[in-house]
Amino acid sequence: MTGSQSRAGRPARGGPLLTGRRIGAAGIVLVLAAALIAFGRPHHSSSAPAAAVAPAHSDRAVPGVPVEVGADVCGAGWNGGKAGEQTFALWDNSSVPVEVYLQNVDTGKVYFDAEGIGVDVTRSFNAVIGPGHYRLYCNPSDGDGLPGPTVDVTGAAPSTTTQAMAPVTNGDLLGPIAAYHAWVTSRFPMLLRQVRALDVDLRRGDTTAAKRDWLAGHVTYETMGAAYDAFGDDNDAINAMPATGIDPATDPDLHGFHKVEAQLWGGADPASIVPAAGQLVKAVSKLRTDFKNERLNTIDIGLRSHEILENAVQFVLNGTDDAGSGTSLATLDANLTGTLAAMKPIRPLLSTRDADLAETDRWIKRSQRLVRSYDHHGIWTPLDALSTRQREALNATISQTTELLSRVATITEPRGAAAR
Amino acid sequence: MTDQECPFGHGVSRRGLLGRALGTAAGAASVSALAFVGGAAHADETSTPPSASPGAFESTTPDRASYPFQGPHQQGIITDKQRHAAFVSLDVTATTRGDLQDLLRTITAQARSLAAGGTPQNAGLAQTDPDNGIVGPTVAPDGLTVTLGVGASLFDSRFGLAKQKPARLTRMEAFPNDALDASRCHGDLMLQLCANNTDTVLHALRQITRVTRGAMQIRWRQDGFQSPPRPSGTPRNLLGFKDGTANPAATDASLMDQLVWTKGGGAEPAWAEGGSYQAVRVIRMLVEFWDRVSLLEQERMFGRAKDTGAPLSGDREFDTPVYDQYGDSISYSAHIRLANPRTPSTDDQRPFRRSFNYDNGVDPNGNLDMGHLFVAFNQDLERQFVTVQKRLIDEPLVDYVSPIGGGYFFALPGVQGSSDWLGRGMFA
Repeated sequence: MTGSQSRAGRPARGGPLLTGRRIGAAGIVLVLAAALIAFGRPHHSSSAPAAAVAPAHSDRAVPGVPVEVGADVCGAGWNGGKAGEQTFALWDNSSVPVEVYLQNVDTGKVYFDAEGIGVDVTRSFNAVIGPGHYRLYCNPSDGDGLPGPTVDVTGAAPSTTTQAMAPVTNGDLLGPIAAYHAWVTSRFPMLLRQVRALDVDLRRGDTTAAKRDWLAGHVTYETMGAAYDAFGDDNDAINAMPATGIDPATDPDLHGFHKVEAQLWGGADPASIVPAAGQLVKAVSKLRTDFKNERLNTIDIGLRSHEILENAVQFVLNGTDDAGSGTSLATLDANLTGTLAAMKPIRPLLSTRDADLAETDRWIKRSQRLVRSYDHHGIWTPLDALSTRQREALNATISQTTELLSRVATITEPRGAAAR
Repeated sequence: MTDQECPFGHGVSRRGLLGRALGTAAGAASVSALAFVGGAAHADETSTPPSASPGAFESTTPDRASYPFQGPHQQGIITDKQRHAAFVSLDVTATTRGDLQDLLRTITAQARSLAAGGTPQNAGLAQTDPDNGIVGPTVAPDGLTVTLGVGASLFDSRFGLAKQKPARLTRMEAFPNDALDASRCHGDLMLQLCANNTDTVLHALRQITRVTRGAMQIRWRQDGFQSPPRPSGTPRNLLGFKDGTANPAATDASLMDQLVWTKGGGAEPAWAEGGSYQAVRVIRMLVEFWDRVSLLEQERMFGRAKDTGAPLSGDREFDTPVYDQYGDSISYSAHIRLANPRTPSTDDQRPFRRSFNYDNGVDPNGNLDMGHLFVAFNQDLERQFVTVQKRLIDEPLVDYVSPIGGGYFFALPGVQGSSDWLGRGMFA
């Protein structure tokens, strides 16, 4: 981990407002701009009249049936053919990058999503499809969706086909993201109450109460989906992780919960912790204000459903974010709660698309049961007190759950215009 | 590992060098049917078509492109050693008998497909890519063998398997010269992955652990590599000595029947037929200390010449050692003399070794952490490995080597038929 990552607490995936996955989308915009500047092509770059005519310029070295796609022509060169594995050499013969679906016209389901094919670029995509009516559907980056002609695929059904899915669109996610924003917003009064109580406890010199209120506040915050820099700089002030090799109690660059934790559990004089606690209260108030105006991206809700636990595997299960309280398992429990909260608004989208949703829910429940078995009336077993077998069971359960949750992010990744 | 960093690594120069090495190695191999020599001919396996006759593999042929997955025995036991290996001890986290069966079926399916290779299908929109892609869009078998063993702890009360435990399977004992680290010992399962290249080993490891996350977890792991012959004959260990010269010949099927393959029935459960007891020992070598020991003393400890590998009683590597009664040329405490006294009564005590070198990093004192990943397959652990190991107690070499981990496992019988799976017999 680099210094800046450890300082940030929840390492950024590409900065405060762009996670690694979001960068992909931004990259497409940049490619588009570059394409317009470099080529300045008119929008009409093709005159291919019908699907049956093979495109003239696709790169023959790319495997697959040469097919022309783009802003004006979609699917020229593909005539259907036999059921089974089909490989397409998709050539963007227009002036803008294009996203291309292979869609079953009868079901509306999509077999591949060829995203961001660049201008004059040929790329290979394949799918195993059964007999039926299909089309390619083009989403040029600057225009409306362009359905290609419907073609017949004939012959015997293959034993297995590529798993198709109705794509989730930006529009599908607007409601859920608003609901999730409202849920996170609703957590702030409790969080503020808890960190203020912590502050008061310390001013009174009551370390027992302070530890209790620290844990309550930290657990609340850990339900709120701060994984991988979701709250940007505000998170650094609230929940930055201890840096490797530096005493967190005295680290001048560490602020927030873990600073207070290190001092409180390290036996510091309560009065000496008051500045750190006061800073934490301020930081939470600031996040509350900032969050009101923060517009979450539609991609965020699926990402958080997956990444809260991904983050927990990386930092909580490794003990990295423990500054002395030994409450990693309480954090994990909060992360599981936060995962369910992020998933809640997108469940209707998942229930028709994720064949493993019930399995995912089973593993989340199993994780909760296991983690909560280490809660002894508010006293949590520290990670390092687990036996090898207990630790293996914990790692297995959380990792398997995370493995399944990765599907949620993939399924709810907003794709193109509505290919319905 | 060192392979890739070496200036004569992959590329043009390697083939030239190995071509020459092959010429000399062939001569050595003709003296004795030694398994190790195969490692010399490290041709570009991706251009080598899969062999149609797996049984007819000669030790001097280039790296095998693939090994058949099915058969009475698992691959990776008497199979010629590949250059790269991972030994992964796992504990089962599945809690029911049914889930354990699912785990074994999943491992079998994954191993079967990895050993055959192929092009993974488009995963569709609902999931991430099921193949990690580190060996490219088409997975070549690349000489991969997946060998699964079970440890004594699998037969505790969890899965109702106590009565099915192989008769000689025990928890590895600590021998007098051992310095075992509990975190690097034992395990419910031993997954041995061997291939012609490191990326293929890691590809298999990631594919298998990914589809079994909830059901098993890695307890400890040791990767290993096999050196090429320097300059010929048996590859060397990291003390600089040829290691494994006297290994029983894998090509001698009747010998393998006596020394390697466990027989079902009698003391053993019927399902154990065709399996083999595996001793894995991570043996740290104190190489800095060793390098400060005179060549004379080193050779005396082994009983062999360091340069040629010949017994001190002979001229050439494969000369039969002569153990004279006064211990003049090969001392009574020499490693080879203790390990293999070459008497009729000790012949059936020989284990079949399939060891690798390992290289882990650096100690706080600045010494290099490297050593020997000792692997031996046995028909009967007690009669073979344990007996030999006890003869070696307090041998002079113990000052320079330190066993720090490992365990005993029973390598399961092979998978026979497309619906069979590893360990199925345990549940009969």
